[in-house]
Amino acid sequence: MIEMTESAAATTNKLVASDVDVYYGNFRAIKSASLAMKAQKVTALIGPSGCGKSTFLRALDRMHDLTPGARVEGQILLDGEDIYGPDADPVVIRHRIGMVFQRPNPFPKTIFENVIYGPRIHGERNRTKLQEIAEHALRGAALWDEVKDRMQRSALDLSGGQQQRLCIARAIALNPEVLLMDEPASALDPIATSKIEDLIGELKEHYTVVIVTHSMQQAARISDDTAFFHLGEIVEVGPTSRIFTHPKEKRTEDYITGRFG
Amino acid sequence: MAAVTTIAPRSVSATGSVRNRRIADMTATVVLWVMASSIIVMLAAFIIYMVYLGWSALTPSFIFGVPQETTAGGGIGPEIYNSFYILILTLVFTVPIAVAAGIYLQEYSQPGRFRGVVQFSAESLATIPSVVMGLFGLLVFVYLFKWHFTALGGALTLTLLNLPALMRVTQEALSSVPDTLREASMGMGGTKWQTITRVVLPSAIGRMTTGVVLIAGRIFGETAALIFTAGLSVPYNNPYSLSPWRPAETLAVHLWYSHSESIVPDVARIGNGSALVLLIMVLLFNLSARIVGRQLTKRFTGRAE
Amino acid sequence: MIAVQARRSHRTERIAVIGLRLAAGFVIIAMAALLLYLAWEGTKTFYVDKFPLWKFLFTTSFDPDNKQVGAGVFIVGTITVTLFAILVGGPFGIAVGVFLSEIAPRRMTQVLKPAIEVMVGIPSVVYGWLGLTLLVPLIRTRTSSPSGFGLAAAGIVLAIMILPTVITLSEDAFRSLPGSLKEGSLALGATRFQTIVRVLLPSASSGLAVALILGIARAIGETLAIQMVIGNATQLPLGIFSPTAALTTEIVTDMPGATEGTLLEHALFSMAFLLLLIAMLLIVFVRLALRKRT
Repeated sequence: MIEMTESAAATTNKLVASDVDVYYGNFRAIKSASLAMKAQKVTALIGPSGCGKSTFLRALDRMHDLTPGARVEGQILLDGEDIYGPDADPVVIRHRIGMVFQRPNPFPKTIFENVIYGPRIHGERNRTKLQEIAEHALRGAALWDEVKDRMQRSALDLSGGQQQRLCIARAIALNPEVLLMDEPASALDPIATSKIEDLIGELKEHYTVVIVTHSMQQAARISDDTAFFHLGEIVEVGPTSRIFTHPKEKRTEDYITGRFG
Repeated sequence: MAAVTTIAPRSVSATGSVRNRRIADMTATVVLWVMASSIIVMLAAFIIYMVYLGWSALTPSFIFGVPQETTAGGGIGPEIYNSFYILILTLVFTVPIAVAAGIYLQEYSQPGRFRGVVQFSAESLATIPSVVMGLFGLLVFVYLFKWHFTALGGALTLTLLNLPALMRVTQEALSSVPDTLREASMGMGGTKWQTITRVVLPSAIGRMTTGVVLIAGRIFGETAALIFTAGLSVPYNNPYSLSPWRPAETLAVHLWYSHSESIVPDVARIGNGSALVLLIMVLLFNLSARIVGRQLTKRFTGRAE
Repeated sequence: MIAVQARRSHRTERIAVIGLRLAAGFVIIAMAALLLYLAWEGTKTFYVDKFPLWKFLFTTSFDPDNKQVGAGVFIVGTITVTLFAILVGGPFGIAVGVFLSEIAPRRMTQVLKPAIEVMVGIPSVVYGWLGLTLLVPLIRTRTSSPSGFGLAAAGIVLAIMILPTVITLSEDAFRSLPGSLKEGSLALGATRFQTIVRVLLPSASSGLAVALILGIARAIGETLAIQMVIGNATQLPLGIFSPTAALTTEIVTDMPGATEGTLLEHALFSMAFLLLLIAMLLIVFVRLALRKRT
């Protein structure tokens, strides 16, 4: 059942998952998950470890294609088109839906090369254009001022927090419509974490953000809607403020009040 | 800030430039498949060719007969015998030294000058061309010690040649044993040496044996180092001599000799037969290496691999 | 009682460690002996026979009976044959290494890897014999080469022989890359081919360099396989099909007939010493390449 927000504002659904199952071999990791993720809003996926939030997230940009034996069933619509349809091409989908991983994974190349990797592989050759894209993306990731004088240095020389913002810049250089973030700050120190959180607040003006987080405080701070996962199912979905103050399901309440997880 | 963006596609299906990239991707995949398959095809072709040519030569008189210098009808019996003889003799020397050095490097030595020099020496020994090693053997055993061509000289030369490989096998086998086993033994008051002999080595013995058998296969086919140390002939009056102090032409050397220097009229037959026998031996070594290794692991540790 | 047992164990341990150390030390001694002894015999050409070093290395007239031992011919021969082999076998080997690491399904790997192991096990004489009976007649009948023996035959045989080395080391290099690199590239919408070319190959470059260097080392040191097909003519390789000779093949061809103490014998030992130095140099290169990784 898809729950719509109470707000009457004309918010459209960017990404809609209906009855999604994810199988690893015979193991059903995600059971009948349905979720509407609204355009230019932040949707947070919370739940105890191992409950399937990352598995669900990866289904959204067809990253399970990389895992032999993994199978996704159900429907995931991006602007109304099924990304698992017969004509759908993962390469195109991953242009429109970007992902930032838990651990920063910059390529062993220069900062510049990292940022413009996406546009370049999708065909952009014009050097000037690429430089503009790079600057724009790095500004969007709040990294420009720190690296503008060392774009030709190795990305691996950056600190953990900077590397993660570089990965965010790399993702937004493609101007995706949706940005998936899998616990982006969990490998970072508190200062870097708060920078990333501020950044997400800015990012949602341009992109639809879906973020997996194990920190409820983080979810409460930055997201508009929240979905609570438990044992592979979406137990409850709703506006963040309501989920955290008046959860409808007992399991949700138990998790939020810290009784487990 | 003006929106500077790449034009993102509006649908989910492949268009234009994406299709080109897809085609490039598929072409590359096909090319790689062809390249990989060609290796398998080539190997199969070699094996079939050798069997086809050499099968008819494998008569008992060939396999057990003695070689002829000038007439047709020679056999390779003594050469096969010598191949095994030198193999065993080489292993007798190589295994104790290499295993000991390997144990030392893996279990005892601390990073430092001694260890660094040992490793560099081993790496260098490993890269030395076998013909250079053969010349060294020539210098030491044939000239200096005045032994002239001997099986012993050949075996000692091959020992030097195979030390690094067997050391590496030992080290890798030892490192595959989890530290928890060592901790358990030492925790009960065992000394390091006891731990190694009673716990670590038995666990590692499967892998080590596999490695030894594979190296044995290489020793069996060794030629360049033996030409100058073990010689190109067998003792005329006692071709199956048990003594190491005599020339010992091996099968591999014989194959080379028959195509370079030999003047007998049936060179082709001898060559084909020798090549086939060598191939069969190599395949046997390869096969048994895996089987023996697995059996030993089961016996000594009670579990398969 | 326990104390006695403990003391005995400790003494066994001490003796054992001494034995192990001796074995390790033996390796050093062996290497040192090799270096010294080959240097001793290999430099006799220069200080006993008084043949100049520069002439040995750079002139191509090799005629021991007339007091000329310019090894330039063989040095060039070694270089060209090795170059041929690595230019053919290098890219091929890396490609198959990529295939094994990134593309091959399990069943293909189960066939291909044992095949490569068998290829490693085949003795070099057998490769030489195969070259002799299969490749040389093929070249003779299909091309302008009159005999079939020559640079091309040797190069092809050598390329096949170094393939397993390059393949296995390349595959290792790719497998040791963190999976997050590949994930990151694919998540940005790259195809697998783009990921391999733009991310994996550059990232594995130091491992691939090691694969190529060790392939070169194998090629330089290979003796019998090429000796049986290269033609063993003391002349520079003027064309791709011309018979020629390399350092290793020359040693094997002429040493059996060389008498101790003659100029020829000294020159051959000088060549062996040269090969030894090249081998050690390659080890240094490998270490440099590995250091670049960190």
